[in-house]
Amino acid sequence: MLSPERRTSMAERRPSFANFSGNSNHIDTLMVPHLAGIEDPLPETTPEKVDVLIAGTGLVESVLAAALAWQGSTVLHVDCNDYYGDSAATLTVDQIKNWVNRVNNNDIISYNNAKLYLSKSIGPSCKYASRDFGIDLSPKILFAKSDLLSILVKSRVHQYLEFQSLSTFHTYENDSFEKLTNTKQDIFTDQNLSLMTKRNLMKFLKFVLNWEEMPEIWQPYADKSITQFLFDKFKLDKPQVFELVFSIGLCCSIDTKVPLALHRIRRYLISYDVYGPFPVLYSKYGGAGEVSQGFCRSAAVAGATYKLNEKLYSYNPTTQVATFTDGSKVTVTEKIIMSPTQAPEGNQHIPDQKYEANRMVCLVEKDCKEWFSEDESAAVVVFPPGSLKSGNKHVVQTLILGAGSECCPQGTSIWYLSTTESGVRAEMDLDAALEALEISIVRESSNDITENNDIVKISEDGRPIVNSVRLGQSFKEYIPRESVQHLMKLSYTQYTSTPPFDVVNPALFDNDELNNRANSVNKFIPNASDNGIIYTAMPSSEISYDEVVTAAKVLYEKIVGSDDDFFDVDFEDEDNDTVPQGASVNGAISYENAIDDDDDDDVDMGIRGDDSNEFVGQMEI
Amino acid sequence: MHGVKRKQYSREILKQKHLQDQLKIKTYKELVDKTLDTRDNKIFTSESLGLTSKVLELNPEFNTVWNYRRDIILHLRDTAPTEFWENELQFTMEKLRRFPKVYWIWNHRIWVLNNFPHATTKIWMVELAIVDKLLSMDARNYHGWHYRRLIIKKLETLTDKSMNTEELAYVTTIINKNISNYSAWHQRVQLITNLFEEHELKKEEMKKMVLEEILYITNAIYTDADDQSVWFYTKWFLENEIVRLILTGDEYIKMLEDMNNNIVLINNDDLEFSGTENSWCLKILIVIEDALKSTGHAVEEEHTKEYLKKLIELDPQRTKRYLHLLSK
Repeated sequence: MLSPERRTSMAERRPSFANFSGNSNHIDTLMVPHLAGIEDPLPETTPEKVDVLIAGTGLVESVLAAALAWQGSTVLHVDCNDYYGDSAATLTVDQIKNWVNRVNNNDIISYNNAKLYLSKSIGPSCKYASRDFGIDLSPKILFAKSDLLSILVKSRVHQYLEFQSLSTFHTYENDSFEKLTNTKQDIFTDQNLSLMTKRNLMKFLKFVLNWEEMPEIWQPYADKSITQFLFDKFKLDKPQVFELVFSIGLCCSIDTKVPLALHRIRRYLISYDVYGPFPVLYSKYGGAGEVSQGFCRSAAVAGATYKLNEKLYSYNPTTQVATFTDGSKVTVTEKIIMSPTQAPEGNQHIPDQKYEANRMVCLVEKDCKEWFSEDESAAVVVFPPGSLKSGNKHVVQTLILGAGSECCPQGTSIWYLSTTESGVRAEMDLDAALEALEISIVRESSNDITENNDIVKISEDGRPIVNSVRLGQSFKEYIPRESVQHLMKLSYTQYTSTPPFDVVNPALFDNDELNNRANSVNKFIPNASDNGIIYTAMPSSEISYDEVVTAAKVLYEKIVGSDDDFFDVDFEDEDNDTVPQGASVNGAISYENAIDDDDDDDVDMGIRGDDSNEFVGQMEI
Repeated sequence: MHGVKRKQYSREILKQKHLQDQLKIKTYKELVDKTLDTRDNKIFTSESLGLTSKVLELNPEFNTVWNYRRDIILHLRDTAPTEFWENELQFTMEKLRRFPKVYWIWNHRIWVLNNFPHATTKIWMVELAIVDKLLSMDARNYHGWHYRRLIIKKLETLTDKSMNTEELAYVTTIINKNISNYSAWHQRVQLITNLFEEHELKKEEMKKMVLEEILYITNAIYTDADDQSVWFYTKWFLENEIVRLILTGDEYIKMLEDMNNNIVLINNDDLEFSGTENSWCLKILIVIEDALKSTGHAVEEEHTKEYLKKLIELDPQRTKRYLHLLSK
């Protein structure tokens, strides 16, 4: 049975009827295609034969499903859960409760150590309902210049989604949150930077935008850490270095190698000013969960079949028959792609997941608007190594979403924290980061000290007198009147085979790597239920969507032979072609502007501030 | 446009396109001929106005037709309804949206504003707001800056008040957003000159402004020592009579020496980082040395010849000029 409680779906949020207006052939209101298991019922049966079977509706799998479906392959896309999204899902509080239980029963591979605290304020007939919240298992931000964004446009899946800008990145240093200086404008107008620092920063920014064409500058440091490179070659100071590496580059350790770090820093800078003064966007109503669902809908339009609550039991590579736990079967002529979370009992081929990421999610009863820019409802806060009182060796990255993201009700916010640190240290680091965030938001939103008239008085001759007794008392008595109320606190560990900040390694899927890897796909293990199945990599701690398209493309190439036509879709549109559909010979002139209108090619990303301000900016990819 | 696949036209479709283009050309020519005919026949009616609209829709750069349009308007002005002029403004705005860099449209718009019946300061203020918006979208469109100067001048005449100080603040905001804006720095030159020549500020205020300007320039050259707009402005500032008159002799010399030291620092830093010196630094150092000499101040070591020799290497396209300067 379908989960009775879930959040409103993207199709339900839009009007589902089409408006045909007058002369135009265009459908004015976009219809979001229905998806089985959400707006439409699940199919009773599955096809008998398909080219590709994909299990798990996470990000990589959904992008792949859409790519294959549009390319013409027949796809059966299943998920053993009763919700879409798998490791990228956006879940309600109740769904999280179930999820936590399953993790702790070892029911969900690649997750461990799930802990949940739930306040009494969430529940039926309580202040907040479970489905008021949409919690992402993989919080993500989308860079304005990124391969996923290009694919979203190419596939038009962006039309099912709504994105909002995120321009606020904070670095936590010395107990305070510093905002970034990353543009020429910021640098020029910053009163606190020395002249030489300004020069050095600008030098670096100019260099990094083109770094690959200037090997003479970085090659000597190719194997060294980015921090050393920035100190030595650009003579930058620690605050600037940390800002560049950890907040702009979103790297996770001081030792990140130069080329990788330069790539990441550049990613931020080239994304800035593409659609406006911000580098990233996030999806409203749910991040990765909405995005993967969007691709599933697209795949469905292209002919893929969807079924939830369907789990693979076993696969026989000789007969090519896959059997599900409910007894149904399907012949798969090409490949089976599967997320490790969907693996059947008796699996033997899941790749080593030796990298760990620890996450914490807090639902907080504070709107946190002090942290957001105007018209925005999200912010990124980075805690560089050594900035927390736990002495963190790894970075803690946090993403804060306010009510404007439509993932939580007014007056609340969702705090996502994550680190690549492992074990007990990870818990300590996350707790320390949480505490730092709490202290900061209380301080910034508190009005306590400002209006205390008793402490300072003006004497008769106009001089201020401080009543020191009262002052001392007030310090001792100072307890912030509000503390931060946690509505929910969730923590868990996730494992992946992707090294932190490394794009998915194609060798992971290599059938020929027999000798090196014990878990090679090609190796036949008798009694294994998953011989011949290709596993995708679990999401890593990476906060951007960077790994997704590469991974999907690698798999696509394995199945189809090449990735040339990856999402090479030609939508049959009522385009205003400059070429006449049929200029009639008898002289009926369809008079057109001599100057062609490029308007069809401009795409509106639907980026809106909270007040749906008109968005000014054109898309160029 | 990026990211849009080029449409590959097949032979057949290309032929069809060619046919359609022929059609368009024929229609356009007929339209133009008709319009110019009516003009030669001195027909100034609302129909002929409509004809000009059609032509300008297709080709807003056809100045002859703009002229004709203005003649028509002048003829019709007495019988024109009140909305006519508003509509005319609307017409130009529409064109400007699509072609923000066509001289003739700007020209026509300002003509409309100048001839607007019962015009008050208000429409010019509105116009200023429009230019603000345009410049916020494209801060380097010199049409926009030129137009802005025209509007400001008109407003100053109408209100009999100078707007130099506010404009200076505006220009500073624009430069802060991007120091690489030649038009904005150019405007700055005009404004400071005006402020001085029209004695709008008291002596102490003027001096304060100059001292702050020195810091502003220093900030700019450190932030981006490759930006020629900044260096052009610096050159103007250092050579300018105004600065010399406002500062005392000692202050002037100190400014030149400080500038000199900063620029030498920047140049050496460039040499260390990239292996080559900065030609703009060298050029301005020469300017400074000249200025110091002209104050009668004793310069211990003269580096100009050395700088010129380096410039010949760095900037070989201007060798003859540097050689010429060397010979002086």
